[in-house]
Amino acid sequence: MAESYSGESTSERVDESVLNDRTLKWIGVAISSLFTLGIFALVGYIIATKVNFELLQTIFPRFVDAYLLVLRIFLMGSVLSVVAGVFVGFGRVSSTFPTGAVARGYVEFFRGTPLLFQIIVIYFGIPALWSGTFPIQDWEIPAAIIALTLNHAAYVGEAIRGGIGAVPEGQMEAARSLGMSYTQGMREVVLPQAWRNALAAIGNDQVILIKDTSLLTVIAVPEIISVFRSVNSATFDPWTPIVLTAVAYLGITLPLGFVVRYLEDRSDWGGDSQ
Amino acid sequence: MSLLEFDGVDKYYGETHVLKDIDLDIEAQEVCVVIGPSGSGKSTLLRCANRLEEIQNGEIRLDGQSLSAPNADINYLRQQVGMVFQSFNLFPHKTALENITLAPTKVRGVKKKQAQQRAHDLLADVGLDAQADSYPNQLSGGQQQRVAIARALAMDPKVMLFDEVTSALDPELVGEVLGVMRDLAEGGMTMMVVTHEMDFAREVGDRIILMADGHIVEDAPPEKFFNDPDSERAKTFLSKML
Repeated sequence: MAESYSGESTSERVDESVLNDRTLKWIGVAISSLFTLGIFALVGYIIATKVNFELLQTIFPRFVDAYLLVLRIFLMGSVLSVVAGVFVGFGRVSSTFPTGAVARGYVEFFRGTPLLFQIIVIYFGIPALWSGTFPIQDWEIPAAIIALTLNHAAYVGEAIRGGIGAVPEGQMEAARSLGMSYTQGMREVVLPQAWRNALAAIGNDQVILIKDTSLLTVIAVPEIISVFRSVNSATFDPWTPIVLTAVAYLGITLPLGFVVRYLEDRSDWGGDSQ
Repeated sequence: MSLLEFDGVDKYYGETHVLKDIDLDIEAQEVCVVIGPSGSGKSTLLRCANRLEEIQNGEIRLDGQSLSAPNADINYLRQQVGMVFQSFNLFPHKTALENITLAPTKVRGVKKKQAQQRAHDLLADVGLDAQADSYPNQLSGGQQQRVAIARALAMDPKVMLFDEVTSALDPELVGEVLGVMRDLAEGGMTMMVVTHEMDFAREVGDRIILMADGHIVEDAPPEKFFNDPDSERAKTFLSKML
């Protein structure tokens, strides 16, 4: 029996198998190469035959404006949602009443209803609470930032709660045993580690925030999708604005990916930790 | 008055009675080694001595000041009780040097330069000055534990607590940590050491305490403890250990 497990017979058996490691590797290479070629061919075909370069030049400035507007909304919403999310995360790990319960309720509501619904409530609902005229002009942009912030603060808060939970209890004990207060232990020891633990999840959420700005088309914010719809309905040309739309979104999401990776590398702490 | 006094201490985890009416006085410069089977309450006893665990009855005093009173200034008292953990608990986002300087600068308000100078001296004492700028995960377990000892010493504690500090180490790394502890004991540090290292207990301990089921069942100098213990419990424990 033991002899059948010797090197020779094992390698024989592996070679007989059709799906060995080498075959699998080549299947992978073949599929991914075909896929890449197919995509390039399709994109090339569309650009060559379906994109109207005259129209592209005409509508380009409108996409630049939409791009800059989305970038500004994203930057505001991003900073505000991360700051608010830190407080939500603190609330979620708090054991005092009613802080924990309120934070829990906040997260359940904003994760449990569609963002589109929240945008509608804030844009249409809030001004209707005024008996006279609503005092804020051009309410759609502030409403958009508020809705995105409130919604994403819930997700960021959960990421931070998870990040805090992943820091071993011994870290706080070590800090306290050195005479640090709970607050000092949190600030100096737990949070820097929690932040690193949460960074990937927060980065994911911020990419989603960028894409969520497309929902603002329903409240007439002149963002990227709104520009696409207006161009498309005036010219009946889908592909020219589609190409610019794709470029505009990737022009925000790809640089954000680099920023997140930079932040992750910065807290490397001398290699894979723990 | 002794340096560290346990006076009728009771500790419960829910319904479980883990420390039962413990009376124990530890004198300055004494090395008190606590041994016993797992679950006997020895780590809990140690953790009560800097209030990582709350007690339900009795009092614990350090230098005459109550550690266990509800109004005790616990952050101040903990500075005088150094603690070293089984799992090191170094701060992974700080270098060895920063691990040591963090508490003195943040808690005591020591100037950064001064704290770094002291940290270098402490690292040299534990044989690790060359590793000052290494992060914990670049160090071996034995090196991490020595940094943890230096970190506790940086607060100039009156007493040092060691909670099974060699249990998580590879066997070949145990010696370097015990060596540092032996130096500390010889330097006159008051120490309370929970350990399974019987050779260390015999050589370095001034006094051996055996715990079982939440009681102190034997309290004797090592000579007597290992050769002629009074209690039946100690005799059976030793027959299994040695």
